[in-house]
This record gives sequence, C-alpha cells and structure tokens, in this order.
Amino acid sequence: MRTDTLPSLNQRPARRKFNRRAGLGWLFIAPCVAFVIVFFVVPLIMTAWMSLFSWPLLGAHRYIAFGNYAELSRDPTFWAALKFTLLYALIVTPAIFLVAFALAVIVRRPSRAVGFLRTAYFLPVVIGLGTASVLWVWLLNPQVGVLNAITQGLRLTTDPIPYLDSIRNALTTISAMIVWKTAGLTMLLLLVGLQAIPTSLYEAARIDGANWWQQLVRVTLPLMRRTFALALVLSVTGSMLAFDQFYILTHGGPENSTITAVFAIYNASFVSFRLGYGAALSIVLLVVLVIISIVQLYLLRDDTQY
Amino acid sequence: MSSKPQSSRSQRRPLYIITLTALFSLSSAFAATTISFWVRTDDAGFVQPLVKAYNDTHQDVQVKLNLVPSANFVAKFGAAVAGGAAPDVVATDLIYMPAFAAAGQLTDLSAQIRALPFYNKLSPSHLRLATSGGKLYGVPFSAEGSILLFNKDLFKRANLDPNKPPTTWAEIRADSAKITALGGGVKGFYFSGSCAGCNAFTFLPFIWASGGDVLSADGKTATVDSPAVRKALTFYRDLWRGGQILRSAKTDAGTDFLNAFASGKIGMAGSGAFAIGTLKDKYPNVNFGVAFIPGETGNSSSFAGGDTIAVPKGSAHAKEAFDFITWCLSPEVQVQQFAKNGSIPVRTDLAQNDYSKLDPRFVVPAEAMASGRTPYSLVYNDLFNSGSGPWLKMIQRAVFSGDVNGAVKEAQASFTRILDTQR
Repeated sequence: MRTDTLPSLNQRPARRKFNRRAGLGWLFIAPCVAFVIVFFVVPLIMTAWMSLFSWPLLGAHRYIAFGNYAELSRDPTFWAALKFTLLYALIVTPAIFLVAFALAVIVRRPSRAVGFLRTAYFLPVVIGLGTASVLWVWLLNPQVGVLNAITQGLRLTTDPIPYLDSIRNALTTISAMIVWKTAGLTMLLLLVGLQAIPTSLYEAARIDGANWWQQLVRVTLPLMRRTFALALVLSVTGSMLAFDQFYILTHGGPENSTITAVFAIYNASFVSFRLGYGAALSIVLLVVLVIISIVQLYLLRDDTQY
Repeated sequence: MSSKPQSSRSQRRPLYIITLTALFSLSSAFAATTISFWVRTDDAGFVQPLVKAYNDTHQDVQVKLNLVPSANFVAKFGAAVAGGAAPDVVATDLIYMPAFAAAGQLTDLSAQIRALPFYNKLSPSHLRLATSGGKLYGVPFSAEGSILLFNKDLFKRANLDPNKPPTTWAEIRADSAKITALGGGVKGFYFSGSCAGCNAFTFLPFIWASGGDVLSADGKTATVDSPAVRKALTFYRDLWRGGQILRSAKTDAGTDFLNAFASGKIGMAGSGAFAIGTLKDKYPNVNFGVAFIPGETGNSSSFAGGDTIAVPKGSAHAKEAFDFITWCLSPEVQVQQFAKNGSIPVRTDLAQNDYSKLDPRFVVPAEAMASGRTPYSLVYNDLFNSGSGPWLKMIQRAVFSGDVNGAVKEAQASFTRILDTQR
C-alpha cells in the first residue's frame, strides 16, 4: 500500500544554519529514506522506464517510445477494468465507513465487553486478504459451503444461492466480504480520532443543551476531518488496488465483468507476458490514484488546531 | 548425490592403495555431472519416482529436480533464461513450446531427435508444437488426451446400453435427457463453466470433430466466427437451458472438473486420461466407461495435451541432458513408470502394453492422443488459458446468457486483436 503525505501538523520556520540536531535528524530518518528509495523510488523509475519498451517476458526487448501508451488508450479491456474498479471503490468505501464508524462508536467507551468486541471486530484484519478470499471460496461453495448449508437448513432457500454468478451478485458478495475484512482497521483509525477530541468540548456542548445527535454532528464529525481524510485515502487506495479477492473468488468472471485495474495489469504482465505494456498500465493507474488522493485531501483539508 | 568413497577394508593394506582408492573415488565424484531439471508442481507425482530411478541407475550423471509452481512456471523460466541461470532440462505444458521456441529460449535438437529410432512413433501433436521455423526443439514427456467419461450405472438405470456410449451430439442430447429424467439430483451432462483450460481441453474437440476450428492451420488467423463453432456452442446452450447440467457448473473454475462426475450423479462429462487413474484409486464405486468425444454427426477428436521436454538455451550439459531425455522415452520408463502408474505413454507404439491390457479404458485416451490436436499459437495463454480471456468469455456468454451470435462475433474480434499484437 502506498503512503500519501498528509498535511504536516505544524510548519516550522526554516533554520538558517545546519546544526548538529538537524544532522542527527537526518540520521534517524535515514533507514526510512533508504527503504523508500530502494523499494519505492527505484522500482517506480524502473517501471516508468520499462513502460517505454516492448518488453516480452521471453526474448529481447526493444524501445518503442510511447507505443504502449498509444495502445492502452485504445484498449477497451483496460478502461472497462478502470471503470469497474471505480464502481467497486464507490460501493465499498461508504459501506466500510458506515460499518466502521458504527463499530467505533460502540467500542468507544471503556466497559467490560469492549476489549472483547474490539478484538473481535479487528480480528479479520490480521488475516491475509488472499487467505480470507480462499476462506470465502469455501464458505460460498454451492455444494459444501457453510452459508448455503445454513440458508437451506433453515428452509430459507431450496437451491444453493449463486453468490458469484452475475456481476451484481459478485459485487455484492465481495463488497460484504471486504467490509467484514477491513472495517476493523478503519474502526481503529476512527477510534483514535474519536478519542483525540477533548472531553471538555462535549462538556461545553452539553452545558449549551446539545443532545447526543447534535454532539455527533456539530462536535464529533467536524473535528474528525483529519482522521476521515487519512481513513478515506487508505480505504479508497486499497479499493482502487483491489486484486486478490477478485482473482481468487471470481477469476474476473462471469464474462470478464469483474476485472479490476490491477487484475488487468496482472493479465498484461503474467498472462500475456507483456511486461512493458503492464508497466504502462501501472503508470496510468498510479497517475489516476495520485489525482484521486489529491482531490480527497483537498476536500478534507483542515487547519483546525485544538 | 554420488557414490561415497569406500572406506579402506583393512588396516594392513599399504597406504598407497588406500590413497589410490580415495583418489579414484574422489575423481569419480568429480566426474559425476549434475544436470538441473525443472518441472511444474502438477507433475511431482510421477516425476519424483522417475528422477529417483534415473539417479539410482546412473552414476556419471545425476539429475537435480526442481519443482516450480505451475502458475509461475513461465515467469520463472523466462527470468532464469534472461539471467543466465537456465536449467539444463525443462519439461512444461506443450502449449508453451511455440512461444518458447520463437523467443529463442531453447536449444535446437532437430538432428538428435530425428535420429531416434522411434522418432515417427512420438506423439505427433507434441512434435508439431515443438517445431518452429522447421527446427525441432523438444520431444513429448507426458501425454494427455481428452475423452468423454460416462457413468455406466446411470446408463443402466436410464435403460441405456452401458456398452454403447454416444457417438453423435444427438445421442448425447437423448442420453442426457433420459439420465436427467431419473431425478434425485442426477444430471445428464457436466462441464466447468468458469474454467478456461478445462474447456479448451474438452470443448474444442467437439468443434474439431465436426470439421471446424477456431484458428487457421498456421495459428495466425482467428476462425471463430464459423458455423461449427456456433453449432457447438448451441449444443452446450441447449443442454444448459434444458436443465441437463448442474446450476453450479456456471461458477466452477475447475475445482469440480472431476469431482462432479466422481459424485456418481453425472451421466457424461469431458475429461482426460488422468481421470481414469484418479477414479479407480479414489472412487472405486463409480462404474465408469471411457469414450471418444464425438462430432455433431459422428467422427471424434481429442485435445492432445501433456508436457514437452526440452533443453533451454545456454545449458552447459546439453549432451547429458539429451541422454536423460532419451532415457525418459525408453520402454522401461514409458511402460514401467508411466503406464504402470496410470498415465499414458507418449510413444504410440507403446499404447498397447501389459498395463493397458489390464484396463482397456487406458487405450481410448492413448489412441485419442495419437489422433489428437492442439492449437499452435504463440499467444495460447491469452486466447485459451486465461480465466479472463476471450475463449472462456465466449463460452459463458453463449451458453449461460444465450447470445451465441454476439459471443462468436465478439470472440472473433478479441482473438484477432490478440493475434495482431503478437510479438
């Protein structure tokens, strides 16, 4: 997952003199900078470089300038994949937020059950997405799946429910699975934001006669802009980079209707073995993601100081 | 790995003999050449005993087996060749051979292969796919042929002759309807509706046996938009619409390719030679027969699959590598290893052997393989094997959504676009 720069907490005036403290500071961030350079900047430059070549997995590569980009502008499967990914992000992000916010409110105040609930809600997050997807393959299986056994056992349905047999069913099922899988993480982020709001503000609001709803809308939500921005960027980025769940659960089907952008990149690189073209698709997806992230951060910008 | 130095038998022997013995052992240890051999993990079952048998009987050359996950095979192999770390011998799905050869990844073995005494008995489809620019780059390693499985018990229950499997589509339709009519969850036919590779293996033969094809002979032009393809899709469509196929077939990405038939509730299903051994071992209660995949009005065809074995470019032990390959084709391996363990020999002259006589059901896929076909394409993976490729999409759109015409036209366009971007 990529990390985006968030507005820094406080702007320090630039120091005129290089002093020992600054040198020490550089030393402390050096491992992090080295990590980012080796595992992000260098591969990014290499990807951009490869995208200018016809680069088959087998055999020699040759320079074709912007040939890959010209081709992808006319590639219907990639644009369909990007459109589908946006649709998926639009569906799954609000769903995650609603569930996560509700969960965060539930586990906000300390009580006996809260420790258990926090753990329970967060547990799916620690499973790998690939593992979780395989788990759901079997939960949803029409012959031996638990979910169908339950609905049929309770006589709610007579035939197995075809959870993945149309784009609508597949999108609904996978969105539900992703909410189950990731709402815990968003809950945690929102919880931190909730608890960062000084209680004195609520006391003041109560003195002014604000009820629970007014406190939520007038105090909690406005003061959580920054937390929302972080959680939103993480959630949207995660959704835009969706791959595992579709690769494992639907294989892009039925009729190729559930192919995401990363899935298209995977297909170009490891099904068609066209690494250069896959690199070009990656660069385009990166640009789209950067634009989406900038828009989100702009909309949720916040300079409030507590 | 190699023979261990023998310890001196007696302390009384002069020192120089001991030294000589040690030196001799040492030199023989150095002489033992190790060749690396890459195989996809799917083949582990029969390759591990094969390599063990070779190493036990050959002191000078030892084979080091490396199992590579099937899904990553091409990527890893490509990276290894590009990095100068190619193995000495490689065996992989025969459909990749045209692309490997065309990309200059393999050693030309034309002269050695043509000199083999049993050259003209080797699986013709394997040889055709191992040929590029008139040169031969590999020989068959393992063989598969697609066939039609049918459940003899269900045939009997439906008052059908269990010794007369269908030989036309009309007979499949009629037999299937009678079997489905038995009720109780029994269905006449089955195919894995979300498995691209399964359908290349079992659905293409229906088209071929009816005189059609989806690619031109040179593999460069799409011929999907043709009457035989439409008819074959309509044939499946009618079976699906008539409730002859389990509903869950639509989303089956291959997990139930054999399981569905093994449940004993399916009348007929396309499959391969591998199914015979598996069914006999694990599902002894399923009384099944094996038939050829028929064309619309007769005839039959098969997808000749399996692995081809070749020597990558840059192997330092090309001679030893070819000796190992030749050994793999010998009767002691083909019959005593492969046929004995329930797979079919890659040499047509060994199709009838001691083990096939024990179970004549093995003869059908062996013969199917000999007359079978395989698409020759540099972009086979894009066209047929990809779960998001045009081949599977066409089948799904035609069979499940019912739009045969639209599906065929769309596939024709997609095939053409992919073939045009061939590198």
